[in-house]
Amino acid sequence: MRQQPLLRVVKRDRAGLPVQAAAYLTAILAAVLTGAVLLLIQGVDPLDFYGQMFTLAIPGSRYPWRMVENYIKLFVPLLIVSLALALAFKMRFWNIGGEGQFIIGALCASAAAMKLGEQLPQPVMLLVMSLCGLCGGGLYGVFAAGLKVKWGTNETLLTLMLNYLALYLLQFFAETKAPWNLFLDTASARPKFARFPDSAQMLLVPIGPFRLNLSLVAAGLLCAALFVYLKYAKGGYEIAVVGDSPSTARYAGMRVGRIVLRTIFLSAALIGLAGAFYVSTAGILSASVTNDVGWTGVVVAWLAKLNTLGIVATSALITVLQYGCQTASTSYPAIDANFANLLQGVILFLVLAADFFVRFRIVVRGRNGKEDSK
Amino acid sequence: MNGSSDVLTLFLFNIVLVNIPLLYGTVGEILTEKAGSLNLGVEGTMAVGAIFGYLAGCATDSLLTGLLTAFAAAGLCGGLFALLTVTLQANQNVTGLTITTFGLGLYFFVGKGLGERWPAMTDVPALVRGFTAVEVPVLSRLPVAGKALFSHNVLVYLGVLIAALAWWYLNYTKTGLRLRAVGENPAAADSVGVNIQLYKYVHLIAGSGIMGLGGFYMALNMSGSFEGSNCWINGYGWIAIALVIFANWNPLLAILGTLVFGFFNTLQIYAGALAGAFPGALGWLNALPPQMFKALPFLITAVVLIATSVRKREGPGQPASLGLNYFREER
Repeated sequence: MRQQPLLRVVKRDRAGLPVQAAAYLTAILAAVLTGAVLLLIQGVDPLDFYGQMFTLAIPGSRYPWRMVENYIKLFVPLLIVSLALALAFKMRFWNIGGEGQFIIGALCASAAAMKLGEQLPQPVMLLVMSLCGLCGGGLYGVFAAGLKVKWGTNETLLTLMLNYLALYLLQFFAETKAPWNLFLDTASARPKFARFPDSAQMLLVPIGPFRLNLSLVAAGLLCAALFVYLKYAKGGYEIAVVGDSPSTARYAGMRVGRIVLRTIFLSAALIGLAGAFYVSTAGILSASVTNDVGWTGVVVAWLAKLNTLGIVATSALITVLQYGCQTASTSYPAIDANFANLLQGVILFLVLAADFFVRFRIVVRGRNGKEDSK
Repeated sequence: MNGSSDVLTLFLFNIVLVNIPLLYGTVGEILTEKAGSLNLGVEGTMAVGAIFGYLAGCATDSLLTGLLTAFAAAGLCGGLFALLTVTLQANQNVTGLTITTFGLGLYFFVGKGLGERWPAMTDVPALVRGFTAVEVPVLSRLPVAGKALFSHNVLVYLGVLIAALAWWYLNYTKTGLRLRAVGENPAAADSVGVNIQLYKYVHLIAGSGIMGLGGFYMALNMSGSFEGSNCWINGYGWIAIALVIFANWNPLLAILGTLVFGFFNTLQIYAGALAGAFPGALGWLNALPPQMFKALPFLITAVVLIATSVRKREGPGQPASLGLNYFREER
């Protein structure tokens, strides 16, 4: 018999909490340190930069509440998209079409805003926009899911292509001046998106100097609902079973195709809803409406291990990273908001590496054939 | 009439000149996918190869150093992808997307950081010379096709050569056939003694390196001018992923596919000029929105993807275990 190799890798049940915490904390610390080294190379004081970044430059700001409001504006879409993507990923359906579904949702909501904005009162209008976003995004996603269920079309590649079709559709509306194009500002000679009528703007509830964005409340409720759905509802259980093994699910009498379609519709619809919330908060459509939230959402969902509460925390942190970097870079010309992407990349690489030590054990060959584990 | 045939020649010439990076990206991704790995990091990998290749080429005043550095820098991205997905068993989609985020972040970080010290390509004779056209004897004298196909810079020919070599390698060499076995059924390949990890590492690194060459090409084609807002790669990495499907994982078809996708890409810029030169035959081009040309590669790919799955013809091209990690103890 051949001798066993010196080191080999064995799967294990998840490591205990202390090991997990140590692995992930080390990963994040190492990423932050790497970032600090990179900043030093550029001649930027890392302590000052990180200081501004992690506090969002709120201390010393003239409009501290405004910073929080801007933060929420970026946080809500990322949170909802990540939650929605996690639903699909739990079923091992690789929906990387978040960008496209977000755009379609935003387009549908904007169409409603421009068409009906003058006639409907604000609460009704917001509801209509949300519904349009939900349906638009959901149908766009369910198209890919349907093909996957019926013919086994590769959903990763298909949703990737659909992202670009949606993006160029949005660009088409952004750059084409025509009488039928209801998205544009008729007063402007050059093509330019029009501001929504007042009733289509997101409700901001004033609390002292701070104006609470209603979509944050909606996102909070959504989190709670999803948490309950995944944990206690039949639908959530079915997602888990299909994700583990479609044949088991089939054997147990579940209609796998239907479950996939239902879940992907839900996932894509929520992404469309995030698009509707975002345009309504911004009060205007834009060609870069997604802020890459469809891509970042994949990273967030994965970093959080598809865990609902984990996603809340992770998306809050990633938004700090992105918005903080944006505000901090205003005082350093050599750095721009892309530094957040770099840092985000390093964090994910190291966390993926840390994952390995949580999921696997390295076994060292013992002296007389016995195994020592390390 | 002479003027309008010039427009046509220039249009055909630019199809090749502007779109060869797609070929590099596609061939690199085909090698990667034939090893069973779906690397969605093409865009970022190309960006990393582009910026480091360009800077190295400028620093040493040598085209070759630029090429080698681009290959090495992008190869490192491939090595990172391999380390995470092959050894550490991380999810391929997530890792690939992160390579893109990271690569673009690094691109802007380095470029912004250099600021005023950014080197201009006009100061680097070797790069300018390397990117000027080399006329192929005899063939370049042909009317229209001579200019369009046979008077290009060296890197165009290199790209075609790499594609042809990759095709030969995948179909006619022992290692190439084994590589395909790794992508189809790693457990079976493992059982006959193919070193899966080694095969994956080598081809993931080489594939990413080739993508990096495409990035380097784009840097030179943009005359090495760094813009703070737009990356040189400008979505070509994503088109390359689409092109792999369109070419049915075949490097020779990738050459054809590059010309087809390149046709639409370039048409978007030349639509006005062509419509002007041939008002009778091509006047309708002016009526089409430019975004349609941009969307066409993705639309065609989506249709191809759907059509092949409906006809259940995934066999010949798409590796069966594409995107799945291989863990020996789960056999």
